[in-house]
Amino acid sequence: MMGIDGAVAFLTGWGGMHGWAMATAAVVSAAAAVVGSLLVVRRMSLIGDAISHAVLPGIVVGVLLGGRPGGPLATAGAVVAALVTVWLAELLRSKGRLSEDAAAGVVFTTLFAAGVALLSAAASRVDADPGCVLYGMLELVPFDVVELAGVEIPRAFLTGVVVLVSLLVALWSTWRWQVATAFDTDAAAVVGIPARAMTVGLLCATAVVTVASFEAVGAVIVVAMLVVPAATAELLATTLVGLMLMATGLAVTAAGGGYLVAWQLETNAAGMIAAVLGVGYGVAILVSREGILARVSSMLRLRWRVVCEDVLAAAWRAEETGQAVPGTSRRGVALVAAWWLERRGRLLPGLVLSPQGRLEAEMVVRSHRLWETWLGRHVGLPLDHLHPPAEWIEHYLGAEMRQRLEQEMATLADPHGSAIPPER
Amino acid sequence: MSAPPLLELHDVTVAYHGRPVLWHVDLAVQSPCLFGIIGPNGAGKSTLIKAALGIVPLVEGWVHFWGKPLDQVRGRVGYVPQRESVDWDFPVRAIDVVLMGTYHRLGWLRRVGRAEREFAQACLDRVGMADFATRQIGRLSGGQQQRVFLARALAQQAEIYFLDEPLAGVDAQSQQQIFRVLSELRDEGKLVLIVHHDLRTAASWFDRVALVDMRLVAAGPTADVLSRENLARTYSGHHEVLDELGRAVEAGRRTP
Repeated sequence: MMGIDGAVAFLTGWGGMHGWAMATAAVVSAAAAVVGSLLVVRRMSLIGDAISHAVLPGIVVGVLLGGRPGGPLATAGAVVAALVTVWLAELLRSKGRLSEDAAAGVVFTTLFAAGVALLSAAASRVDADPGCVLYGMLELVPFDVVELAGVEIPRAFLTGVVVLVSLLVALWSTWRWQVATAFDTDAAAVVGIPARAMTVGLLCATAVVTVASFEAVGAVIVVAMLVVPAATAELLATTLVGLMLMATGLAVTAAGGGYLVAWQLETNAAGMIAAVLGVGYGVAILVSREGILARVSSMLRLRWRVVCEDVLAAAWRAEETGQAVPGTSRRGVALVAAWWLERRGRLLPGLVLSPQGRLEAEMVVRSHRLWETWLGRHVGLPLDHLHPPAEWIEHYLGAEMRQRLEQEMATLADPHGSAIPPER
Repeated sequence: MSAPPLLELHDVTVAYHGRPVLWHVDLAVQSPCLFGIIGPNGAGKSTLIKAALGIVPLVEGWVHFWGKPLDQVRGRVGYVPQRESVDWDFPVRAIDVVLMGTYHRLGWLRRVGRAEREFAQACLDRVGMADFATRQIGRLSGGQQQRVFLARALAQQAEIYFLDEPLAGVDAQSQQQIFRVLSELRDEGKLVLIVHHDLRTAASWFDRVALVDMRLVAAGPTADVLSRENLARTYSGHHEVLDELGRAVEAGRRTP
């Protein structure tokens, strides 16, 4: 067991400062991922983006009034700025006939610009550098420490932990209200849930998390931390709790991984963390339940089934007419399918049907002829148009549907006069 | 050989996200007329004309105008979309919208001239909207907006027109005006196809109709097609089979 002392030794000992920097990035990312999960499922990512930028003037004013960049005064300023942002954007939308995205775009860029201007003008008086505002200074975090119970702990880490814990407590105590509001705000409000307070609370939490992560990762990268882990988790998770846990896990993993990669490549850590998050999203698109890989594989399986069934049906028709199996079953993919069907005991050598193969082939032909009959009766296609649609649909009709069609059609032959094989 | 039909759809099948919603439509219109496309909600009426106009891709089949694919006859085919499909806050005036109908004749770099302006004004006049030329389109009533759309189609001087629910949610005066203009177009030898949902008016307004419910149920002269039997087949929810099959095709598996 490593124990608390061991953990502290690891975090402080390894390379002197990397441990603390990584821990800070992880805590801050986790907090952002939790808030971001609610923003993403409520389709409010854009407003999260807006708030994370618009809090800048609030922070600067807080600092000018004597606070520290991550301190209570700056946090209060940020929350005020966040609420002003949302209120202004809503005002522009309702009174200025702007769409929601344009309204948010107008407000947050204006406020962010004001913040940058204010910061530059006051740079000599406050301890903050405009460059850090954009992409943070994670590498320098371990040098600004406070002493707690005899251990020197980076201030940013401490801030992050306080924010994360208060966030989790707030979320835990209002969980059902949050879920109900997120899912259906109007219905929640009607049954007496303080939906409006939940929304305002979420916006304030976004502002607080942004302030906490400002020092570490800056205003631009924090957007990635709010949105990307939750967006990735949304592809993979089926419950809100699962989504939040997964987003948090992804965020912490990316924080550690991104930091290590950045250290190896000697580049900006916050930027690399965001890049790792982006790569994670790309992977999720590939492997998620309805992702690219799943779709491609299900398409290939379908194609394969169609080829196999076509080979079987061709052999069955050859038996019916007493003619040779057509050449299309002896070429290309069909040849591979025939070999496979032989191995699976559906075909005997020479494209002859086994009893099991005959049964399956018969059901394909039955589907084909039933569908031709149905189309002839209900879609009014001419006789010579019936075959191609049936070639397509024969692979999709199940036993129940075939029975239903047969009962409705009440005929033993298809429109071309061929007998419809009975269900077996 | 006789002349090819004005419009011919051959075995047209359309799918949204892999799920077929319109199956094997075979339809030919030989001569100019007012042609109603009729069916219940969700029957695929709008999809049918969007497929004909190449707005949604076909899974199967082809569409010909005068025996040629649409790409060879663009400009001769006009389209009036559903009113809801347009952003009415867009900063244009009625006359500007109508002028857009003339753009395809202007080509590259040529600017709108006096001739186009006068013609656009005349088109507005024809739909009874001459006094509203400089009004921002969002400040027109629903019926007026629809008439401006119709004026844009007139300005295009097409020979085949597709209109998607031009009479839905429109005041009585606008309805009359629109219907009068459409009849005039027919009398000038143009083919006018109209997606329409109101059976009561369909019988008196259209020369020919097509009944659609995920497939073409029947098409031909209005009196023949609007029979009790055909209507029952269109409105009795007979598309359950197609619905279930469509879901199976979308999922790539068999039905139960």
